[in-house]
Amino acid sequence: MTPIDTSAAPPLLELSGVRAGYGSIEVLHGVNLAVPAGSVVALLGPNGAGKTTTLGVACGLIEPTAGKVLMAGRDVTGVAPEELVRRGVVTIPEGRGIFPNLTVRENLQMVTYGGARLADVEATAYERFPRLGERRKQLAGTMSGGEQQMLAMARGLASNPALLFLDELSMGLAPLVVEELYGIVAQIARSGVSILVIEQFARTVLGVADYAAIMLNGLVRSVGRPADIEDELSAAYLGGQKP
Amino acid sequence: MNEQPERVEQFQAEINSMKVKASGAENESRLLILGIVLAVAGLALAIVGGVQVGGAADALDQQSFLATGSFLGIALIIAGAALFVRYSLARYLRFWLVRLVYESRANTDRIVEAIDRAAHGPE
Ligand SMILES: Nc1ncnc2c1ncn2[C@@H]1O[C@H](COP(=O)(O)OP(=O)(O)OP(=O)(O)O)[C@@H](O)[C@H]1O
Ligand SMILES: [Mg+2]
Repeated sequence: MTPIDTSAAPPLLELSGVRAGYGSIEVLHGVNLAVPAGSVVALLGPNGAGKTTTLGVACGLIEPTAGKVLMAGRDVTGVAPEELVRRGVVTIPEGRGIFPNLTVRENLQMVTYGGARLADVEATAYERFPRLGERRKQLAGTMSGGEQQMLAMARGLASNPALLFLDELSMGLAPLVVEELYGIVAQIARSGVSILVIEQFARTVLGVADYAAIMLNGLVRSVGRPADIEDELSAAYLGGQKP
Repeated sequence: MNEQPERVEQFQAEINSMKVKASGAENESRLLILGIVLAVAGLALAIVGGVQVGGAADALDQQSFLATGSFLGIALIIAGAALFVRYSLARYLRFWLVRLVYESRANTDRIVEAIDRAAHGPE
């Protein structure tokens, strides 16, 4: 199994021995994970494995009780999430986090409170997602699930991320739509953004990822190239041994 | 594969220029340990002071041992104990809060169930 190669430069994101939880209940029991610059890392695992919690720690929303969060080699444990966002750490949460009762355009306008110009935000969003351009006056909540996910991504990309976190992009979407979205993720990765994607069901994301990690019960159980991980994955989900 | 390496460099520069404070959780356990260390050091000092006072025949010597040993020792014990209580209490109360939330949720579930049963008759 190929471990994630971090010899060249410090990875943009590194979690080291992270323990975290809610109240006195510990969910992560010492998570180690790295996202090297310019790569796509997929974090896979069943319901309740702690994937979203891991993301919460990475983006600064949840403070770990032990362990460290490093970004570009620097210890950023305990730094406020808005500080990280300002420096280019963007999260697209599970369930998308868009405003359903605002139009596409108004949703994009929300980014401009961070300082960007609406015209620029709209131009880049509609260039990458032409379908949003056609629907700029439509209420976001009335669009299809795939289009809503595109809007969430467009809004995230508008703040020029260096590190992008995607939580369950595929949730509730048809396989064809998921494939289309991952095509876009691959494009984003090629433009130099380092990406951590979280998924439960893995097939599509493995085609895009440079590395994949399997998480079970609050621990990263194995890390490697997608091809190696794929075999292990079915075993992990079925809870059995490798055939 | 990377068309804009300067974004990565910019990110590195921005992260490096950021002010970072020590994390709260780590601070807390550090203070807890500091409290224990202070109290133990104070106790040792007080005992040493006591022994010295007992051994000293001259009242002036006794006074100076009292000042450096016993009083400083007692002050350290109090400060250390205060730190210890403050931070172990914080831990305990956090746990207790979670427990309360859990119980009240269980209670609500029971009440809802009871109302349900009452509404749909005993059979
Ligand atoms: N806000 C919360 N308060 C208390 N417990 C929580 C909270 N959020 C998550 N948990 C618990 O933490 C554990 C891990 O949850 P997490 O959301 O990280 O899983 P996940 O891997 O993202 O799962 P999924 O694939 O279903 O999104 C679960 O047991 C869950 O019940
Ligand atoms: Mg989740």
